Amino acid sequence: MAAKKKMSVEEILAAARKGGSSDGGASGEDKPGKKETESASEAKSSEASEKPKPVGKSGSGERPSVADILAAARSKGGGNPEAKPAAKKPIAKPVAKKSAEKPMAAKPAAGAMSTSSILDAARGGAKRGPVSKGEGTSKDKPAAPVAKAKAGKLKLEVPPMPEKPGYAKPAAKKGAKQDRRGFLSVMGLMVGTGIGVGFTSLTMTMVVWTLGLARYLFPNIRIEPPSKFKVGFPTDIAPGVVETKYKAQYGVWVVNAPYNGEQAIFALSTVCTHLGCTPNWLEAEQKFKCPCHGSGFYVDGINFEGPAPRPLERYAISVAGDGQLEVDKSVTFQQEKGDWDNPASFVPA
Amino acid sequence: MHGFDPSFEARSAEFLGFFYLALALMNATASLYLWQAGKDKIKVWFNLGGVAFTNVLGWLSLSMLCVILAAAAMGGIPPKLPGWFIRNANAALTGNPGAIVYTLATTALLIIAYYWRRFFVKPVVAWTLFNASLLLMGLAMTNRPFWEIVAKPDNVPIVALVFLLGFFTWLATYKSVTNDDRAVEGLPPLEKDDDEKVLVWPDLVYTELICMIAITALLLIWAILLKAPLEEPASAVKTPNPSKAPWYFLGLQEMLVYYDPWMAGVVLPSLVIVGLMAIPYLDFNKKGNGYYTISQRRFAYIIFQVGFLELWVTLIVLGTFLRGPNWNFFGPFEEWDAHKVLVLNNIDLSQILWNDIFGTSVPTVTSDMGTFDSLLVVLKREWLGLLSVALYFIVLPPLLATTVFRKFFIKMGFVRYMTMVTLLLFMASLPIKMALRWAFNLKYIVAIPEFFFNI
Repeated sequence: MAAKKKMSVEEILAAARKGGSSDGGASGEDKPGKKETESASEAKSSEASEKPKPVGKSGSGERPSVADILAAARSKGGGNPEAKPAAKKPIAKPVAKKSAEKPMAAKPAAGAMSTSSILDAARGGAKRGPVSKGEGTSKDKPAAPVAKAKAGKLKLEVPPMPEKPGYAKPAAKKGAKQDRRGFLSVMGLMVGTGIGVGFTSLTMTMVVWTLGLARYLFPNIRIEPPSKFKVGFPTDIAPGVVETKYKAQYGVWVVNAPYNGEQAIFALSTVCTHLGCTPNWLEAEQKFKCPCHGSGFYVDGINFEGPAPRPLERYAISVAGDGQLEVDKSVTFQQEKGDWDNPASFVPA
Repeated sequence: MHGFDPSFEARSAEFLGFFYLALALMNATASLYLWQAGKDKIKVWFNLGGVAFTNVLGWLSLSMLCVILAAAAMGGIPPKLPGWFIRNANAALTGNPGAIVYTLATTALLIIAYYWRRFFVKPVVAWTLFNASLLLMGLAMTNRPFWEIVAKPDNVPIVALVFLLGFFTWLATYKSVTNDDRAVEGLPPLEKDDDEKVLVWPDLVYTELICMIAITALLLIWAILLKAPLEEPASAVKTPNPSKAPWYFLGLQEMLVYYDPWMAGVVLPSLVIVGLMAIPYLDFNKKGNGYYTISQRRFAYIIFQVGFLELWVTLIVLGTFLRGPNWNFFGPFEEWDAHKVLVLNNIDLSQILWNDIFGTSVPTVTSDMGTFDSLLVVLKREWLGLLSVALYFIVLPPLLATTVFRKFFIKMGFVRYMTMVTLLLFMASLPIKMALRWAFNLKYIVAIPEFFFNI
C-alpha cells in the first residue's frame, strides 16, 4: 500500500483482504445491498476494464464484501497516515479546487471519507481516468459512510486532508499597520529619492508658474492711451478739415464736416467696418480709402464704395471744462443704428 | 510710390540676358533630345540647299534667336514690347471694366483650352505656347511697372507656380486625352497597361533623394539671388497700401471685395472644404478610377476645374498682379498710383428698391427702437433681398432637378442631390455676386448691418 505506483481496485482490494481483519463480515452486514450497488457503480464509472462484477458478486459469498474491505482499509489507513503517500502529495485537482472555492464546505469532507477518496488515497493520489459524475456526487455526500461506520462501531480514523497549496490559501488580511507603512514609504519615495525631489519641485514650479501667469494678466501699468483724451479747441479745426494727427496715437480722425445738413465736429474711428484694416484719408479725393479690399468712405464716414457694409463708427466727443474737445473712445455711435442723432456723438461747429 | 530707380534698366537688362540664355539652352536641349530620340520628323517646309528643314532645326533656330536676344539684352538694348500693345493692354485691363475683361478673357481661354484640348495637348503646340509665353514675359519685363510686379521677391514664386500649374494641367489633360482616345478604340487606359510595380528601394527612395538634393540646391540659389521681402515695421494704425494676403489667400481676399467678412471669410471657405470632403459621397460615377480621363467624368472635371482654375487660380493671379494701391484694379503695364481716382460707388439692393423704384427713402432704424422693432424695420427694408436669396436656395434645386440635373436627381436620391446642388449654388454665388457688382454696382443683396448680416 505504501508503494508509490498506482494500484488497481483489484490490487487494493487484494491487499486489504490480506491484512484485513476477520470481523469484516460483521461490518458487512450493515447494508450490504446498498453499499454493493454504490461501489459497483463507482467501479464501473472509474475503470471499465477492472471487471468490477466479480467483486460485486463475491460480496454475497464467503469473501468479504467490498464494503467490508473498504471499512477495513479506512480503519487501517487512519492508523498510520504517514505511510500514505496521499498525505504528502496533494490529491487530485478537483478536490483541491473545491477546497479553494469553498473552504467552509470542504471542512466536513475532511471528517468523513467517501469511497472514492479512500480509493484515491490508496492509489497514490492521482486518480486514473476522468472524474465521473458519480464520483463527484459521492464526494458531495460524505455523511452516509460516517453514519454507516458509526453504526458498525468501527473506530474510523480519517486521514488528514492534504495541505492546501499556496494558491488555495486565502490571502492574508492587510492590517492598518501595513497601510500606514505603505503611506510612509510613498512619502519617503516622494521626498527622499532623486525622482521624488525632481517631481515635487516640478510640481511646485508649475504651480508657481501658473500663479505667475495669472498675475501677468493683470499688469501694473497699462501701456495704452487713455480712452478719454483732449484733441484741441473746436476753433482749431476749420470746416472741411480732417485732422489726421491723432490717428497714430489714438486711432481717431477728428473731422469738421456737414452731416445731414448740419456742420459738426465728430471723432471717427480709424477701423474699417469691413474687416478691420486702417483706411487712409485721401485729401485729393476727399475720402477715406481702405487698402485691403478697397472700401471707401465719404468725409462724414458714410460708406459708399467697396465692400464695407456700414459707415465708420463715431466716438463720443464733448467740450471739456477748459474749452477743449474731449474724445471718449469707450463710447461708440453707429450710424446704422441711428446713434448719430445722439448729441454726445458730435459737437456743433 | 515707386521712387526713381536709375539701376532699373541695368538690372532688368542683366536679368533678361540670363533669361534669354536659359531659353536658348532650353530649346537647344529640346532639339538635341528630339534628334537623339529619332523624333526629327522631316517636314520639308523648304529646302536649304538639300538639307530638309525639320522640327529639330526649327527649335535650334529659335535657340539661336534667343542667343541673339541674350546678347542684345546684355548689351543694354533688350527688345521691348511695342507701344501700341502696352497701351491697349492697359486700356483693356484697367479699372472696373478691367476686372470684367480679365474675368471674361480667362474664362474664354479656359473654355477654348477645354474644347480644343486635343489640339493643345500636342507636345509641339504646348512647347510653342510655353516658348511664346516666356518670350512675351521677357519682352514685357523691359516695362518698368510690369518688372516691379513680376520681379518682386514675393511674386517670383507665384510666377513660377503659374507656369508649373500650366505644365501639370497640360500633363493631366494630355494623359486624359490619350486615355479617352484609347477608350474609343476599346483599349484599356495607359495606367492599366503600365501598372508594373516598382520597389521602394531603390526606385522610390532614389528618386526622393534626387528630388531632395535638387530642392535644396534650388532653395539655396533662391535665397542667394532674391532678397527676403521684408517690409516696414508693423504698426496698428498704418496698413501697407496695398495690403496683400499671402499669395495662396489672394483668392479669398478677392472674394472679400464682393462679400461680407462673415460670408467670404467664414461661410464660403468652410463650404469649400466641406464640399471637397463631400465629393466621394456625392460621386456616383464609377469610371475614371485610377487613371486620367475627361470624357468619362465630364461633369466632375468641369466643375472641379471651374472651381479650381477659374474661381481660385485666376483670382490669385488677379490679386497678385492686377490689384494695386487702395485695392484698385490696375493694368499690367500701369504705374501703381495710390491717388488713382476710380468711380466705384455701389449701393445695396434695398437702396435700389426704395430709392429708385418706390421713390421713397429707405426705412432706417432709429436709436430709440427696441430689438424687435428694429427687426421689423429691417425685414420691411430687406424683404426683396431676403426673398431672392430664399428663392435662389429653395426654388432653384427642385427646378434644376426637373430640368438640367434630372438624371442626377434620379441617380443620387433626394439627400445627396440636395447636398450637391446646394454646394454648387454656393459655388456659383461668387461669380454671380461679382457680375452683379460690375453690372449694377450692387453691394449687398441683403444688407443688415444692424445685425452684422450681409449677403
